[in-house]
Amino acid sequence: MSDPNLIQKYNYDEFTPAKVFHWLNFENSPKLGEKLPSFPLWHLDGSETSLEEIWQAHSLTIIEFGSFT
Amino acid sequence: MAAPSMNAMADKYANQDVGSIFLYTHEAHPGENYPHHTSMEQKLRQAQALQTELSVTRTIVADSLDGACHRRFGTMPNMTWIVNKAGTPLYKSDWTDSESVENALVYFLNVQERRRGKHRLAPFRVERLDYRTQDRDGFNEGLMRSGPKALREFNEAFE
Repeated sequence: MSDPNLIQKYNYDEFTPAKVFHWLNFENSPKLGEKLPSFPLWHLDGSETSLEEIWQAHSLTIIEFGSFT
Repeated sequence: MAAPSMNAMADKYANQDVGSIFLYTHEAHPGENYPHHTSMEQKLRQAQALQTELSVTRTIVADSLDGACHRRFGTMPNMTWIVNKAGTPLYKSDWTDSESVENALVYFLNVQERRRGKHRLAPFRVERLDYRTQDRDGFNEGLMRSGPKALREFNEAFE
């Protein structure tokens, strides 16, 4: 069952080791060479797209994840 | 994050059928100016502010409020992946460094060229440790953009 507080926990309100570090899980990210799952994503005008739609648009796509900091 | 060098690289390779996006996640260091997200509307507003303030020229898309995509990919604050048209990841790095990304991109473009030349190629796995410049002043500047709270919490976390 999904965590009812997932949104609040993922969007932590302060950068502390207890709230942040357990999220960092690159070791279990998708493997190279194996097809990725797709996810819904949103343009800045609120319209919906998907990761699949993005990777299908070009022979290669660079995806940088990030935020202000 | 969202280094200008990544924008420049996107422009440099756009005519070789290379797409480039910035996928906005959660605020890694929430502060007074850019706090943690509590709604999708706020998340999109902060992504728009990022586009303007950091002069991001690439397409920006936002993940869902619960970070479904970000979490599945490992939840690192500033990672980069290169994916082919079939949805297969060819490169992933737990930190973004434009020199590392470009090095990999040039290699994969060459692979495409060799395939067009009818070379028979088989994939194999590589592990490599790349190196990035540590710019603590620039990083602190980024934290201050979010607000003094972000800088204070970062310093306290690594005391």
